[in-house]
This record gives sequence, structure tokens and C-alpha cells, in this order.
Amino acid sequence: MRPFPFTAIVGQEEMKLALVLNVIDPSIGGLLIMGEKGTAKSTAVRALADLLPEMEVVKDCPFNCDPGGFLCNQCREVLGSEEHLHRERKKMRVVELPLGVTEDRLVGTLDIEHALKKGEKRFEPGILASANRNFLYVDEVNLLEDHIVDLLLDSAAMGVNTVEREGISFTHPAKFILVGTMNPEEGDLRPQLLDRFGLCVRVVSIQDKGERMEILRRRAAFDADPEDFLMARSSEQRDLAGKIIRAKDRLNSIRITDDILGKIVDITCSLNLDGHRPDIVIMKSARALSAFREKDTIEQDDIRDAAALSLSHRLKRLPFDDIGSESKKMQSILWGMQA
Amino acid sequence: MTFSGFVGHEDAKLALILNAIDFNCGGVLFVGEKGSGKTTLARLFRNLLPEQTPFVEIPLNVTEDVLLGGIDLEGTIRSGRKVFQRGILDRAHGGVIYIDDINLLSPELIALILEAQGRGENIIEREGLALKHPVRFILVASMNPEEGALSPHLLDRFGMCVLWESIKKPALRIEVMKEAVPELIMNDEDEAQDEKLRQQTARSLLVLKNMKIPEGVKEYITAKCMENCISGHRGDLFLLYASRAYAAFCGCEEVTEKHVDEVLPLVLTHRKRILKQMEKQQREQKEEKQQSKQDEHTDRQKQSNPQSEKTNPEKPHHDSNLEMDNPDASLKESTPQEEVFPLGNTFKTRHFVFRKDRLNRIASGRRTKTKSKDKGGRYVKSILQPRKDIAIDATIRAAAPFQKIRGREEMLLIHDEDLRFKQREKKMGHLAIFVVDGSGSMGAQGRMVETKGAIQSLLMDCYQKRDMVSMIVFRKEKAEVVLSPTSSVENASKRLREIPVGGKTPLTAGLLEAYKLIKRVMFKAPETRFLVMLITDGRANHSISKAPIGEEIEKVSQLLRGLRFTDFIVVDTENKKGFIKTDLALQIASQLGADYYTIENIRSEFLTELVLIKRKELF
Repeated sequence: MRPFPFTAIVGQEEMKLALVLNVIDPSIGGLLIMGEKGTAKSTAVRALADLLPEMEVVKDCPFNCDPGGFLCNQCREVLGSEEHLHRERKKMRVVELPLGVTEDRLVGTLDIEHALKKGEKRFEPGILASANRNFLYVDEVNLLEDHIVDLLLDSAAMGVNTVEREGISFTHPAKFILVGTMNPEEGDLRPQLLDRFGLCVRVVSIQDKGERMEILRRRAAFDADPEDFLMARSSEQRDLAGKIIRAKDRLNSIRITDDILGKIVDITCSLNLDGHRPDIVIMKSARALSAFREKDTIEQDDIRDAAALSLSHRLKRLPFDDIGSESKKMQSILWGMQA
Repeated sequence: MTFSGFVGHEDAKLALILNAIDFNCGGVLFVGEKGSGKTTLARLFRNLLPEQTPFVEIPLNVTEDVLLGGIDLEGTIRSGRKVFQRGILDRAHGGVIYIDDINLLSPELIALILEAQGRGENIIEREGLALKHPVRFILVASMNPEEGALSPHLLDRFGMCVLWESIKKPALRIEVMKEAVPELIMNDEDEAQDEKLRQQTARSLLVLKNMKIPEGVKEYITAKCMENCISGHRGDLFLLYASRAYAAFCGCEEVTEKHVDEVLPLVLTHRKRILKQMEKQQREQKEEKQQSKQDEHTDRQKQSNPQSEKTNPEKPHHDSNLEMDNPDASLKESTPQEEVFPLGNTFKTRHFVFRKDRLNRIASGRRTKTKSKDKGGRYVKSILQPRKDIAIDATIRAAAPFQKIRGREEMLLIHDEDLRFKQREKKMGHLAIFVVDGSGSMGAQGRMVETKGAIQSLLMDCYQKRDMVSMIVFRKEKAEVVLSPTSSVENASKRLREIPVGGKTPLTAGLLEAYKLIKRVMFKAPETRFLVMLITDGRANHSISKAPIGEEIEKVSQLLRGLRFTDFIVVDTENKKGFIKTDLALQIASQLGADYYTIENIRSEFLTELVLIKRKELF
């Protein structure tokens, strides 16, 4: 069944924008969505994946290798012996990481059945393999076991999954858009892990009566006749998809001046943030924003909006830090920029 | 991006270059905050090495068999004899091993790597194989100390250590950002610079052998190590090799003291024990002070007798006449009203080590290692002792050599004796019970501010180790559980702020409450490990029975000591700089069989855990 269309989701503009920016430039590093249940989090991710056009992959490759990009061990072997790779087109998927996942399922392991039957060693791909070039959706990321989170963020940061276990040594690309959700009331994520998520947004259920009614109306219409509903939305959907693709294409031609970079550093320095990741994430998402807004250069408002998405989860350096004052400071710095 | 183009962190670059010149330099550990470029630089190290040099990264999912090498499944089945499969150590021979987030890797595995590196060979005695091969590699590792510490023992094995801070200068931060977008800069100059460095490194290799090391310089090295309170002799040796490599890099024929000074911070940073140095200084100061004040306090011996205090519970400010240099404080103590003190400064606490117990349990947390009973946790290695969790990979390898003899046609033939089982490891958290003294004497000289800072620091440690926490406060006539066991360290921190100070010291009641709490939790979760942290100045003056306080404490201590899986820490808040100290808390610690610390020495003594301290202040 086709998912609910992205353009028909009411409100939650920040979350939708943050997702789109990650599609335009996947190196932004994913999105953490904080908020209560039933706020269209997973709907939005699924809808966005569905909206995007198909991508080119190596045929039958379990890792969805990009024929023109970094290849897995297997594809490299094929390319070496046959000198060319069969291609096919596939839709982007949303791969889910269940909470009880084990380490071997996540990173992949020895293919036991094959070993028993044939006496041969073969790599059985794990979730990170299927996540390559797709969305990896982790519901309640704060409830995942510690060592699983470590492994997950390890390959998310590198874009590569290196497996050295159970007699298997294997490397394959693992570039995915990591989308995590958490309900802060159920426990915190370590600040070190928060920092690994490129962007962060908070979602709350919509309180406006009119908008809530609209949500109900659209959902009911979709449930009654999905085909019809999708058809009515199709031109809007196409427009947005086109806009995203165009932004992706023009990304590298956006001008980034020292002046712009200086403004970013002004923000991060005055907030006294750890490391260089905040700077880089703001720059990349400002660039993606500018491309999405069909401009040639990054401007003030791109930086301001990018910073708002990139910094909220990085203000807290220690688990007990009271971030009230820091977040006020951030607001005043960002709004001061406009004047 | 190029090695030369990497912005800043010249000391880290030098450390890598020196290791490239001489394997004996012992590798380097980068310690620093998140996102500061540690991993990026480590990967760029490749640019400095000859093209064919192996560069192997060890991922966190590594298992022992792949690390060391073991039976090659396919080859063994095919040939019917044991065929060796090279492990990571062998693959890295003559090159580099890089471990990202080394502090998250199992200490057991880290020890194996460091041991092989130290010995220069890998001895394999596993899966029916017995062989050894030489290993020589440069170990480069990085860690973020906020995620947990590396034990001092493992730390010491690293030749060098570099503390990282992200670059603060705006102009340089802009450069760092540009590096992240390769389209922005096209710099052939840096490429050429890397090539030059590569050649310089190669040249240095040649002169290394004939490098002269004058006796005077060797003496200088030893003197420097002793001056910096370095324990063990590894520091001396690594300092020697590093100086020699640096001299070679500079194109000199002889090592000089200047060379030594230049590499000194790289080699000694992680071996320095701040505490020892501070103690030394303090001792010296104290000796001076004592000389001058000796006459005034000839009666010190008598008053510090703990028994005399305990039998006089109604003497609330027994020490008011002792703390002469601050009459204000003693006044405050004697007033009956309550006061809520703010939190003092926090710091990184030292590494507490507890016994590893043999019980298999379902565990979560990061404090003490335990064998894991359920299927969670990291599969580290395979063992022979049967349990539910079969290690199929190891089982197949064990069966592999016999497939020919057993007459295999299609399916592998696995017999009972082939079965191997997974040993998984998980770190287990404790329930940390803070038993906090809230009596009036704790308020003396604003001591509670510091005490709260210390407790907050301990809470930080609990958070990193994923401990559950609970808090008991004793003051006035009774003890009270102000925070039931919870994993929310944040709540604990809130409660801590609210603790008022004032009234008598019902220490026994506090201990008894802890005992009752442990009993309650044990009933529900019999496998829990407990850590009781008693924070007090030890001046108990309110008994809960008719017995004298000393006896009472002795009895409750005995009760507590009889508990299974319970460790004790006593943090003494008494002002040890005062003229008279009672050391009552020390006595309670010995009754409990507890580890005893003062507020001053629960601080971590290892620099690597204290990245926030600026390097300049240390050397």
C-alpha cells in the first residue's frame, strides 16, 4: 500500500524541512525528532521516501551499491572479473531498526546456513547493509542498548560498515539518513550521542482546532480511497520532488564566502559549543536550505534557520546542565542577526 | 584533505610523524571532546606512509578470533587439516592499527592488542592451533573521556598521548569548516607539502640507527621523569625513543636536551599523576605550617580520640574551639537554624574498581564487568562451557578439521564435542546509594558547598556508568530516603540541591536506612550490585538506641558488611587542613571495610580524564 502523501501532512513544518534538507545533502548527518507519540513522525519519513524518484543501484546487490560510487567487496569483485555491473532502478526505502536488535543482525555476520550446508564462508548482510542509501528509522533511540547505539553511530559517522567478527572480514558502504525519535520523558540520550545527529527538531501535537480538523478530514479521505487521494495530490507531489532534485543538483554551485563562514563561527563561539561538528552542520544545512530556496548564495536567513535546526540538541553539554539560559541566548543571537 | 592541510593540532601531527619514524615510540592516543577532528587526523596519517603500508581499523564489533586469527573454515574443511586464517594483528604487520573510541571496546580485547604490540609477536593458542608470528604496528587510538575512562594500566602502554581541544580562534574555525567541503578548496600546495613530509620521514628513518644519545641526555630524561612523578619505567624508555625520533626528524646527529623538552608533553601527559604531585606540594607546605604551630596544639592527640566524641553526643560543636582561624564558621555551626547550600564545583572523579563477580546475570550499565546471562551484550569470544547460546561460527571451525575423516558429502557433520558457546560481556551498573550527612557540622566553613560539588561529581560518574541512584539524608533525629532508586540522575541532582543542613547527626540511622533499602531491593532484584557511598564528617552525635554511639555504629556496620554484592565508599568531608582532625570517618570506613576517600582525593588523578585542564598549566 502506498503511504500517505508528504504534501498532505498538516503542520510540523520544521520536521518536514529538516527531512528534506537531509535528502538534499545526506552528509548533514540525520535527524533526531523529539516529541510525543502520534505526531506524524514515521508517516513523514515514509511519505518522503515515497515522494522521491527511483535511484540507480547495482542489480541484486544486497547493499544497493551506487554503480558510480563506493562499491562493496562483492561488487568490486564482479567489476574486476566482468568489467561491468548490471544496473536497476529502485525506490528509496525506510529501513527500521527494532529495539531488540542484536549486534550480529545490525552489522551482519557469518551466513550460518551456507556454512553448514556447503562448508563455505559467506557474509550475511545485516540491517546496516539494507540501510545503505536509504532511511534508517530508529524509533525510541534512547531506549536502544548502549553497545548497539555505539555501533550504529560508528558506521553512521563513517558511512562504511567494517565487520571483523566470527571469522568474517567484510566492508561495505553504509550511507544512510539516520532518523531517530525519542520521547525525552522516557530517558535521555548521552550528549555525545546527541551530537552525532546532524539536526534536531521538537514536535508537539497541533493545538489549533482548525488544523486538527483538517488532519482528520485528510486522513479519512485517504483511508476511504487512497488512489483517489493520491491522484488529487499528484501535481503537488511532483512539484516538491522536482524542487528537491533541483536543489540536490545545484548544491555544489552554491557560493560560500568567508563572510558567511564568519557569521557561523560567531554563533558557535558565543554559545561555547564543543567541537567543530556544529559549525560544519550549520554550514551544510544552510547550503542545502539556500539550494532549496533556489538561491545562488547563502544568506543571513539561511544561516539563522539552519542554526535553529542544528543547535538545540548541542547546547546541553552535561546531563545536568540547565539549558534554559543557553537556549534563550541562542534565540537572542539568532534573532539579533535579522536586525 | 591532506595531512599538512589539517588545521592546527601540531602536537598530534608531530606524535604521528615520530611514530612513523620509529615503531618503538609506542603509538599514540588522542583524547578529546566530541567532533574535534581526532578521527579525521588519524585517517590522514595514511598520507605520510609509503603506499603499500597496511592501515587497519578495528571496529567496535570485533571478536577475538578475527583479532588474533584462527581456523580458516573453508581451507580447513577442504584439506582436512588445520589451515590458519590471518587475523587483524597479522594483517596490520608493518603498518598501522587505528581504533576509534577505544574506551568503548572491551578491555579484554584492548589488553590483547597492547600485549601483542609490547611483545612484538602474536602467540596463538586457540582452536587447536599453536603458532606465533611477529607483529609490529603503530597503534593509533582515540577516545572521548566523557564516555568513560581507559584504565591507567592500559593507558600506560601508549607511548604518547595528546589532549585535544577544538580550535577556538574564529579564523581557524573557518578554515576547519572549509576542509569539510572539499569543493571549496583545491590546494596543490598541501599535496606537495605531504610529499615533502613523507620524504623527510623516510630520510629520518635512515639516520635513526646512527643517532648518538649522550649519557647526559639519558640522565636528563630520568631526572625529568622523576620530577614529574611518573610511575614505572615505561615513561623513561618512551621518552628516550621519542627524543631520538625527534632528533632524527630535525636532521640532527645527536639527541639534545632541547629535543627531550620538545617531546616531553607527548610522552608524559598521561603518566603524570596530578594527585601525587599535589600531595607532595601539600606535604611540604604542611610540614612548614606544622613547625610553626606545633606549640599551640600539644593536646591534639587527646582531642582527636574518636571515642571521646562518640560518648559525648550532646556536644554539638565539639570543634568550635579548634577551628580558630575561622570563628565565623563555628558560630554558624552552633546556630540551630537550617541552611541550604548551593552546589560547589564539580570535577571528574577517580576510577573506582570493584571485584568482578562470577555470577551470570541479566545486566545493563557500564560500571563493573559481568558475564551476561541473557543473549544481549557483546559476543567477545567462544568458550567450551555449555550454556544456551551456541557460538555457531566457532562450532563450525571446531568441526572443520574432521569433515574429511567423518566422510562429509554435503552438510557439515557436527558432533557434540564440536559445540562451542558464546561468551558475551556486558557492563553492569550498580545501585548507588548516597547516604548523605545533613547535620549542622557539615555546614561549617561552607563545607557543604564543596561536599555537594563532590556528590554532584559522583553522580556524573554514575551517569556515565549507567548506575541507578538513590539518596538517603540523615539529620536531626532521623534518616530519610529522599530519592527512591531511579535511573534519573537528573532527579538525584535536583534532590541534592534541596538538601538542607542543620541539626544533630544520627549516623546510625542513616546506615540502617541504607541497610533496609538494600534488603528491599534485593528481595525484588536479587542480582543487583550495590554501592553505598557514605558522605559524612563522621561526627555522629545522636543515637537511635540506648547503646553508646560507637557500639551502635559497630553493630550496623556488621550488618551491612554481611550483605552480598555490596561495596562501600566513605567520603570524608572533614576539613583536613584544620588544626585538629578527628578522622572519625576513617574509623567508620574501616568498620565497614570501605574504600576511604577525602573530598580532595576522590578527584581523578589522571590527566586524560581531565581534558579541560589546559596543558600549559602542567608543564
